[in-house]
Amino acid sequence: MKKIEIYTIVGENCITRTAGQKVYDLVHSELLSGHSVDLDFEKVRVFASPFFNASIGRLFEDIAPLDFDRLVKVSNLAPANMQVFKQVIQNSKRYYSDKGYREALDATLREQAQAK
Amino acid sequence: MATTVRLSLRRISDELSDFDYLFNLLHQCGEGSAVIIDFSNCNFLTPNAVAFLGGLARLIEYKSGTCDFDWNTLSPAVRANLAQNGFVSTFGGAIDPWDGNSVPYREDQTLDVDGLLNYLRTKWLDDYRIHLSQELEDYIIGKVWEIYDNAFEHSQSPIGIFSCGQYYPQKHELKLAVVDFGVGIPYNVRKFRSEETLEAGYAISWAFKSGNTTKSGSRGLGLDILKDFIRINKGRLEVFSHEGYGLISKDTEEYSSRLLTPTFEGTLFNLTLKCDARYYHLASST
Repeated sequence: MKKIEIYTIVGENCITRTAGQKVYDLVHSELLSGHSVDLDFEKVRVFASPFFNASIGRLFEDIAPLDFDRLVKVSNLAPANMQVFKQVIQNSKRYYSDKGYREALDATLREQAQAK
Repeated sequence: MATTVRLSLRRISDELSDFDYLFNLLHQCGEGSAVIIDFSNCNFLTPNAVAFLGGLARLIEYKSGTCDFDWNTLSPAVRANLAQNGFVSTFGGAIDPWDGNSVPYREDQTLDVDGLLNYLRTKWLDDYRIHLSQELEDYIIGKVWEIYDNAFEHSQSPIGIFSCGQYYPQKHELKLAVVDFGVGIPYNVRKFRSEETLEAGYAISWAFKSGNTTKSGSRGLGLDILKDFIRINKGRLEVFSHEGYGLISKDTEEYSSRLLTPTFEGTLFNLTLKCDARYYHLASST
């Protein structure tokens, strides 16, 4: 199992999408290869949903929920922040599992972008 | 030739009528106006008013007008407040700010993560006002961050985000107002759902639901998280955007469309928290 020390990658604030992207890039490649990871949040102080959405939520785009559950371990995440983590996972599983909803959403956004 | 508009302010607090008053000021300032803000009749200004006035001034400038504050018309109390929180010095007055019960007036044209975190931690959640464990302080900052992230991600504000706060020791309350003069929550939700006539109040409630977002990708959690935090910790959050209004408190979650009042095309969050650490609960402990 590969230990990923989040503090080493993004520092004590896990709040922005940019920070989340850095974690995503590391974790995604490991999971695609079938490797398990331990996301260690020791020394991280502040958490917000944009970070979790960008780092974890996006993983469900091409990582099956069962594989995520099997391959991803989380350590040193306080219960209050674990709740946010779990909510992101729940939302993401729903979003990426409903292909019809997702395609309709993406089509709408494409149309809006073209209309600008 | 520019139209001169002299706005004579009255006392402004944070009742609903005060927000209507503020939004109406915006409607009095046409493009290219030369605006003068007169404080002669104003003996009290809450942080929502300060943040809004600052943003209004920048919006007027952005729209090729000018906005001057007649500092000579300030009452001593208002002068002290606006000087302390840095509003006077930001707009050319010759008084440097100082630390006190004010939470500084702040303008963010771009996202300054470290700056904003430092602001929330040292200027808003000052140890002098409220004693929190580091864990609780970090938790609260993470929740309030959702307001700023929402504004930078969605508002499309051409002039940035404006904040101001205040500590009220007698009420044991901490307030923070965050304003943007962007497109507003209802605009984004209506466009996303292709429902131009969607009620503004409903649009705001939609934005506060977990999983809803107008951006692609699995997002849409921030405002829902903030809502839970407010309710658990007996705070109060008001949101104004277009004619939409949202109120979240311990016992209340209501959204409405206020059709007979001045509209505000941007978004204004008005947050009130209790200063007693005993009020605070981490979500995990509920």
